Amino acid sequence: MTAHEIEEYLAPMRHEFADPRSLILPALKFAQGDSGWLPTEDMAAVAEATGFSQAYVESIATFYDRLYVEPVGRRVINVCVTLSCMLRGSDEIFDHLADYLGLDGEGTTDDGMFTLAKVQCIGACDRAPCLQIDSGEQIGPLEPADATCLVDDLREQPAPARYER
Amino acid sequence: MPQMNSVYRHREFGAPLTTLADYERAGGYLGLGDALALTPDDALYAFHRSGLRGRGGAGFPMGRKASFLPKDTGRPTYIVCNADESEPGTFKDREIIERNPFQLIEGLTIAAHAVGCERAYIYIRGEYEAQAKVLDAALAEARDAGRLGPDALGDGRPFDITLYRGAGAYICGEETALLESLEGKRGQPRLKPPFPAVAGLYGCPTLINNVETLASLPPIMHRGPDWYSAMGPEKSPGTKIFSVSGHVLRPGNYEVVLGETTLRELIFTMAGGLRPGRHVKAVWPGGSSVPVIGEGSLDVPLDYESLNGVGTFLGSGGCIVMDDSECIVRACHRLAQFYRHESCGKCTPCREGTGWLARILGRMVAGEGRGAEDIRMLESLFGRISGRTLCALADGAVMPVQSALELFPEEFAHVAEHGSPAPAPMMGEPVG
Repeated sequence: MTAHEIEEYLAPMRHEFADPRSLILPALKFAQGDSGWLPTEDMAAVAEATGFSQAYVESIATFYDRLYVEPVGRRVINVCVTLSCMLRGSDEIFDHLADYLGLDGEGTTDDGMFTLAKVQCIGACDRAPCLQIDSGEQIGPLEPADATCLVDDLREQPAPARYER
Repeated sequence: MPQMNSVYRHREFGAPLTTLADYERAGGYLGLGDALALTPDDALYAFHRSGLRGRGGAGFPMGRKASFLPKDTGRPTYIVCNADESEPGTFKDREIIERNPFQLIEGLTIAAHAVGCERAYIYIRGEYEAQAKVLDAALAEARDAGRLGPDALGDGRPFDITLYRGAGAYICGEETALLESLEGKRGQPRLKPPFPAVAGLYGCPTLINNVETLASLPPIMHRGPDWYSAMGPEKSPGTKIFSVSGHVLRPGNYEVVLGETTLRELIFTMAGGLRPGRHVKAVWPGGSSVPVIGEGSLDVPLDYESLNGVGTFLGSGGCIVMDDSECIVRACHRLAQFYRHESCGKCTPCREGTGWLARILGRMVAGEGRGAEDIRMLESLFGRISGRTLCALADGAVMPVQSALELFPEEFAHVAEHGSPAPAPMMGEPVG
């Protein structure tokens, strides 16, 4: 991802904000779409495109859960574990998925295919226990077998053209 | 009492209203027409007369909030819609955005007319990307039809809406943290005053309202503020959406007239009640940040004052129901982990205090508690966290635990000595 590509992406929306600082978050999300996380070079490109220092851009990137400054898998499986989902079996869903993926809790599979994460309430407690692949539709209510079917289906799919985390 | 779908127009219509044509067929944009026939001041007065209170959690009167905006400052006035719906147990705004997005857009347009605003922002949480796409499409359609753009308010008065995506941070639902995030800063709350009405986005006068609040405006303008204020109690009239989740058989959203439905009816008549043989043990009626109440309070009418009367808050309307199969300390521990994760770290009492709450509850649950010492330590923590921070996150972390300890002292004492193994969860139940 180059600074020029980011500038082109931001150009149509610049007039919507009184302060160009507001462009940093959209720029980071756009840059992350490329490789699914934010390598240092991408944050440097965002800094150049928006006119703010790289240190400042990194301070923004590290604040938000859904911006990743470390590599993650091709797909991130976000299992909600907050109260409403816990009451409906989110821990069982998570443990089952970790087991199926050969992970000891949260983490990324050796083949780089999946990152399994526990996340806080994703606003779909009516579908508890629920999960979200990257920032896709909230899926639920799940039983353990549904969750592993979902993983099998994802394994068959090609990498997304752009990542939406 | 039956449901009353005013904000949930799509339910009344019987289908999602995701195209402008369908929305208009269902009576959409009549409210804007009525609002534009009034002067801005008269429209503002209508908000005030309706008695509408903010539906995001704080319940501040909407019309009064809007009237705080200074006029003729020579600077732009902004409206920011808080679509960062992140309070655990709350998913009402998601349904508005997914199925009735134009009512939010119309509501924002009405508010823009009243306060003299040319650009509004909808700040939507990053986890709602699927919902953001629905809004993107609705905004584009509204723009194509001239409902947004250079003449959106008539007489050549422009108005447009920018959709801004968050990236995963509960704190950005706090209004000043939201403004910081929207300004391209870390989402950390500001010291108030000044309040956003005076110095909000980019230091300009700013009206911030929740999705449900703004989506309440079109029917208020079309049917009249008196129609709205006649529904429910005098101090908190109108309809409110409750999101019911947890150990109920029909989790979902239910829009009701305030004061006409009891918590018991919401849980048992609307949300399908519990599994056979189970009893209500604990309810967080207004999202996870409010004091928990027990079975003895189920006959409370659902309105702001009545819920205050039983020691809790209406909050966001995110009603989490727990039956007697689960341990209250485990539930509190889970919530404490949430607040620890979401504390932005700006204020020491919150940053450190939420960590201690989670640690102490965690060791109690794990069977590594220190008995009465842990209970005393919990009790001493509450006052060192509450009321000592810039925003309400810390209070929200304390209230559910403090109230639970008061309601279930024996269970806390037992868990502090013996731990609490996880029970079998409620799984595989049909969801209606």
